[in-house]
Amino acid sequence: MTTDDPIIEINDAAVTYDGGETFVLDHVSMSIERGEILGIVGESGSGKSMFADSMLDAIPDPGRLSGEIRYHRDDGTTVDVLELSDDELREFRWEEVSMVFQGAMSSFNPTMKIGGHFRETLKAHDADVTSGMEFARELLSDLYLDPERVLTSYPHELSGGMQQRALIALSLVLEPEVLVMDEPTAALDLLMQRSILTLLEDLQEKYDLTMVFITHDLPLVAELADRMAVMYAFQLIEVGDREQLIANSGHPYTRALLNATPDIEAPLEEMRPIEGQSPAPINVPQGCAFAPRCPLATEECRVEDPASTQLDDDHAVACHYAEDARDEIALHFDRSEETVPVSGGDGS
Amino acid sequence: MSNYYVRRTARVFATIFAVATLTFGLIRLLPGGPFTQLRAQLLRQGVPASEVDARISNLQNIDPNAPLWRQYLDYMGAVAQGNFGESISLGEPVAQIIAEAVPWTVFVVLVSTILMFAVGIFLGSLQAYWEGSRFDKAFSGLSIGLMSVPFYVVAVISLYVFAYQWGWLPTAGTVGTNVEKELSVPFVLSALEHSLLPIFSYTLGGIGGQALAMRGNSIQVLGNDYVRVARLRGLPDRRIATRYVARNAILPMYTGFLLLLGFRLSGTVILEQIFSYTGLGYYMFAALKANDYPLMMATFLIITVALIVGVYIADLTYSKIDPRISAGGSDEAY
Amino acid sequence: MKRTEREESSATESSAVVTDGAGVDWRGSASSSVTVTRAERLREFYEETVLKPMLVAWSDSRTRLGLLIIGFYVSLALVAVLGLWRAPSTSQAPRYLTLFENMQYPLGTTASGTDLAALIIHSTPDILLMVTSGGLWATGIAVLVGTVAGYKGGSVGRALMSISDFVMAIPGLPLVMILAITFNPKNPILLGIVININYWAGLGRSIHSQVLTIRENNYVEASRTMGVSTPRIILKDVLPNIMPYVTVNFVFAARYVVFASIGLFFLGVLPYSDQNWGVTLNFAYNGGALFSWSAAHWLLVPMAAIIGLSVGLILLGQGMDRVFNPRVRTRLTGESASTASADEKETGMTEVL
Repeated sequence: MTTDDPIIEINDAAVTYDGGETFVLDHVSMSIERGEILGIVGESGSGKSMFADSMLDAIPDPGRLSGEIRYHRDDGTTVDVLELSDDELREFRWEEVSMVFQGAMSSFNPTMKIGGHFRETLKAHDADVTSGMEFARELLSDLYLDPERVLTSYPHELSGGMQQRALIALSLVLEPEVLVMDEPTAALDLLMQRSILTLLEDLQEKYDLTMVFITHDLPLVAELADRMAVMYAFQLIEVGDREQLIANSGHPYTRALLNATPDIEAPLEEMRPIEGQSPAPINVPQGCAFAPRCPLATEECRVEDPASTQLDDDHAVACHYAEDARDEIALHFDRSEETVPVSGGDGS
Repeated sequence: MSNYYVRRTARVFATIFAVATLTFGLIRLLPGGPFTQLRAQLLRQGVPASEVDARISNLQNIDPNAPLWRQYLDYMGAVAQGNFGESISLGEPVAQIIAEAVPWTVFVVLVSTILMFAVGIFLGSLQAYWEGSRFDKAFSGLSIGLMSVPFYVVAVISLYVFAYQWGWLPTAGTVGTNVEKELSVPFVLSALEHSLLPIFSYTLGGIGGQALAMRGNSIQVLGNDYVRVARLRGLPDRRIATRYVARNAILPMYTGFLLLLGFRLSGTVILEQIFSYTGLGYYMFAALKANDYPLMMATFLIITVALIVGVYIADLTYSKIDPRISAGGSDEAY
Repeated sequence: MKRTEREESSATESSAVVTDGAGVDWRGSASSSVTVTRAERLREFYEETVLKPMLVAWSDSRTRLGLLIIGFYVSLALVAVLGLWRAPSTSQAPRYLTLFENMQYPLGTTASGTDLAALIIHSTPDILLMVTSGGLWATGIAVLVGTVAGYKGGSVGRALMSISDFVMAIPGLPLVMILAITFNPKNPILLGIVININYWAGLGRSIHSQVLTIRENNYVEASRTMGVSTPRIILKDVLPNIMPYVTVNFVFAARYVVFASIGLFFLGVLPYSDQNWGVTLNFAYNGGALFSWSAAHWLLVPMAAIIGLSVGLILLGQGMDRVFNPRVRTRLTGESASTASADEKETGMTEVL
């Protein structure tokens, strides 16, 4: 799978906490296109946060990240994020790639006003504080917040949704190229999730951002993403164009995931939870990690870990029986051809 | 909100009033009652028996033969005016004795408590910074050790070693006997010399608890997402250490500091006795021993007022210092 | 493979990995496995509340050491009660023997020729009684006041809390001195109570605020809606939640009794019938032990006895805190200690001495 103008290329990224016996990110490769919105979907404990952290070389201690994270700057130069010195890394983070964590409530210093967070970030990066704060106000307004009120408030004085939006503004204040979001809407109610999603789409257009949106909520990210990737057991098992991945997924896990997705229109009996549990890092099965839960698994699956293969244009799957899966695991929402459980099927 | 301040202030006066009443009652519980001792003493001095009661009411502002409610009103009235009567054992006005004693006690308690917090916070944050290191383990053990040693043990040992055996420091008093009580260099030096051991003993044992508290708080703060986000935002380490970790770890200890100031005042009863340091606690104990009720009541009352005011200031200022707490939220909301 | 290390690190360091509930997929877990049998619940309850804490407690070297030390003092008390060591009396031995000078009297003797070891051993039972009663009194009243005030709330709660505030405002040591002179309590159990006469107030206050949060919990509300009586709710739903905090504070209250009582005995304020550590310290102090190296052991032996007991109590308290503190419980570093106490007001109380 190739992309025309990649901004980040991840090659064989792996994270280990015990010196290489077990991996919480298991040799993942991925290419992120400049200006796209990439959605990463996975259960909790599938390694998706590690994937997010690795793009900023910000794996929590004592984890070790190996592999290659190539970042292509606007001016055509390329750096390997893992080779950067501490000072270079300090600049790279937030100026080139910045991040929004889940739980905005815990991302702000509780004893500092929101405005202080913006100012100190600008100062730490030797940016002009006056014009930077001007930009911060613009960002906050873009996110439908009252800049003066938010900047002079302590975090606890704002609602969860306001804090989350303020955090998004904070992550954009140095005008980064890439915004990585790790479950940015997990703690919010459904309405707030929707509105933040809309705002993100607007921001992406206005500031020409590349966005990586990581979530466990498949329908949520399907609304937003241009391309999607599915993680299972610390590996990417399927990557593809949004429509392809939803309507034509080739991995039994992705298909099961789609069938397990709540849909107001679908009758309850058609919702299929996936039997079994996803593996912990210490007992990832040999062969295909999904084999124990897979209805199509054969001896081959239990022995040999399937490599990622090209299924269609811009659609790769790591499954021995991708073609069979399409035939044998029916997607329930498929019953009426034209309705896809997600809105905006033509990819706005 | 102003309503809260009014109520909180009113409560201070109500509590002081109640404690004064309690003191009045407690003293009357004591064996022999408040006037037996004085009566005996006056008789020994050759005061005619017929005049004793008049002398007593003159000295203590209370007529011993009046009904209890009358005595109570007279007592409260006098206390409200800062008149505590005359000390039986020392023969001086109680207010004067207390006025001379309070500065010494306040000095020792204030300095030792500040030192205790400063050293404890410093050690605790270092431990948290190097969590799990040999330094951390050694000092955690040391902290537990320090917590286990009562200050009076430190006091006795340091008195034994530094004052009696090595003779480096004076064994008793607040200033040298031959030093003029005026603000001069020799006076200050002598006062410092005399306060060194009391302050040291009153500080050492308390460090352990503060260090452990600071260590725990800091480790908790370090584990917070906002510290991680601050690092990713590229903030300088020094700013993270001060504005993020230290500030959020120390804030919860602030109320403890003011409360401790009050509580430690009552501990001076033991401390000042060991060093014959003539402060509030020393006189309280002396009064207790000599059945000097006026002095005893007054010292008790003063220590109580200090405690109440400490809690009061803690309550009122905490919301100013920690933005997360709104005034009265912790106490009054329910 | 190394299971524990990875598991723990994922629990603490990268909470993101395991945040939104482990299990199947984001929705399947709820619909697939709702039926949990009563037996399973009971077993889980047992594992969570009994087995795990015990294992965690025992795995912590502090708790083990603390229990060992306290066990040692209990056995000293047994020695005294069973009469396995001579009782102290004057002129029972040569005067001023120092430590281990004569193995008949391993801890040396006093100026009056009393066996120091006998003095220490024979005062242990009373001290332990006093410490236990003081701790039980302080925590008992605090729990009673804190839970009733917190759960009932309203005017009852306000009244109880006003009383606590008032009691808290009375300086402890001076009050104990006056009470000791007035009532002259010689019984160690009574003495323990007198010493902690107002210790409960601060503790009751913090229990009160904890109960305020607990009573908002769904299961408490459920009990209330079902018409369960107040005492039963307090007993079944509220108490188990504060027990950890109470246990830790029992230990701290007990240590306060040790410090305060010995200090007051040392000053000669508390009445006594037999010598104990504090009285011995007082005799040594006033008997001139300060002036010569040769009598130093007379001071040091009772001091060591006091410090030993409080080390034991503090270690136990720290270990307990670890058991009940989920933050500490899951921490990666095995040796990680904990905060001295969760509540600053409580710290204020215990650090007095």
